[in-house]
Amino acid sequence: MNLRWYHFLLWAAFAATLMLMPELVSKGTLRTMIFACYLAIFAVSWDLLSGRTGYISFGHPFLIGIGAYTTAILSKRFDVPLELSIPIAVVVTMIGGLIVLLPALRIKGSYFALVTLAYMELIYQLTQVVRPDLTGGTRGISGIETLTRGAVNGYYLAATLLIILTIFSWALMRTRIGTALWAIGMNEESVRGSGLSTTKLKCFAFLASAFVAGLGGAFYVHYLGSIAPRALFDINFLFTILVAVLIGGAGTIIGPVMGAFFLVFLLEWLRPWLPGAERYFIYGLIALVIYMYEPKGIIRIFSNLLGKLRGANK
Amino acid sequence: MPDIEIKKLCAFYGKAQALSDLDLSASEGEIIAIIGANGAGKSTLLDGIMGLVTCTGSVRVGGDEMLGKSSSATVAKGIGYAPERFNLFPYMSVKANLMVGAHTAREDVQTNLETVYRLFPRLAERKNQETATQSGGERQMVSLGRALMTSPSILLVDEPTIGLAPKVCLEISEILRRLSTEMGLTVVVTEQNANFALSLAERIYVLEGGKITSSGTADELTKDDALAQSYFGTKH
Repeated sequence: MNLRWYHFLLWAAFAATLMLMPELVSKGTLRTMIFACYLAIFAVSWDLLSGRTGYISFGHPFLIGIGAYTTAILSKRFDVPLELSIPIAVVVTMIGGLIVLLPALRIKGSYFALVTLAYMELIYQLTQVVRPDLTGGTRGISGIETLTRGAVNGYYLAATLLIILTIFSWALMRTRIGTALWAIGMNEESVRGSGLSTTKLKCFAFLASAFVAGLGGAFYVHYLGSIAPRALFDINFLFTILVAVLIGGAGTIIGPVMGAFFLVFLLEWLRPWLPGAERYFIYGLIALVIYMYEPKGIIRIFSNLLGKLRGANK
Repeated sequence: MPDIEIKKLCAFYGKAQALSDLDLSASEGEIIAIIGANGAGKSTLLDGIMGLVTCTGSVRVGGDEMLGKSSSATVAKGIGYAPERFNLFPYMSVKANLMVGAHTAREDVQTNLETVYRLFPRLAERKNQETATQSGGERQMVSLGRALMTSPSILLVDEPTIGLAPKVCLEISEILRRLSTEMGLTVVVTEQNANFALSLAERIYVLEGGKITSSGTADELTKDDALAQSYFGTKH
């Protein structure tokens, strides 16, 4: 896995910074950070699949939604305890991940992206018409049991989940399997030529991504206490995840976390000056400028700066 | 018994026939070359052996039929594939490129890595460099190294000299010869550069339009005036 001492130091600093936040910022800011943590989890799960293998999935809310709806229905409609409903939701999401995998066995590129977009639209329609007594139809489900009360506890839970899932994903991507997944993103045929089963590798990537998405989706719904199809299976939600990954640095795991926090706080900082929808224009412009300046994202800007500092010290 | 024996191999891309009743063989430790122009079917032949393209006919390795098996099974049987150097993973380091081959290694990964670094000291020096920033010759070495990471007994090499300077071609030729003589590898090379193939291989097959049109040693082929003029730029 090739771990160095500074990896442990950086991860410890990352975890410590997140854990110290409730002592340093207001409760309002903490609530913003909770959303940033969940967005970061969704971005990491997208990055595990699309950032690595190059299979750009536009259907990620499909997976997040499966996790969220499964645990919401089980706990609200069938009184299943959360300790059971959340693991079940994760397993069901992983099965959903295999469904998303199916087209990836035959198609790639923009065709795959469009098929996965259809998945999102399909589940959006299904949640409204199939068994609305369970899904709540267009209005969704409210009054779902929450895991924590108050911003501080909610933040600690979201931040802990983010830390665990990010370190898990980062470590996974540093294994030989992670390297092979990255190689698929660059040249799938060549990976096959080296004797690797790309089907098995893709299956692994889809399952790992679905695991993180399902877990994130399940915890998110038990933070919000409600769920509605329009909020979850929405193109804006999908693009927020994608932009977080692209701005942060696709294929790096930690980049999408940085991207998610950057985007969420950018929107919040713009709110006092631009309370309406026009702040999305500024947000889009800033995102575009960053992406044009450094297509490999914020993480590359940081690593370049670090490289220059090292060079200056020599 | 030949190390690898191909009989009546046919391959199709849709309705277009890429390979037609192709026969060839190579003995243990032998170097053979398949020469032909662009679109002759050279890469399809190697892809067919690897199980990357669906073919009919027979591909026997060490007496076992390999046709219809996956590329994983082919590599497990001892066939290593060094595709054109353009088929590397450009944003990965040299070492990461080599480690992709290590997934299917039949022997100890560390030993294989040391062997590759011994054969290509330049790769050891630049193991952390992204292959996208390397020279053509170095990238070709990475391609060969990645194939060697699978611990093959038969090495398939696709157009190793394409776009390389004559000096680098000589270097590649020397490395392939060493693989055959020092490590006992059977080497199957496809080439457009006929002079490179003549200087390297013990036997050469000429591939035209998916068919083997002639074969023989370098001496035998250069005596054929038509062939010599088409491929070697000389006439006896």
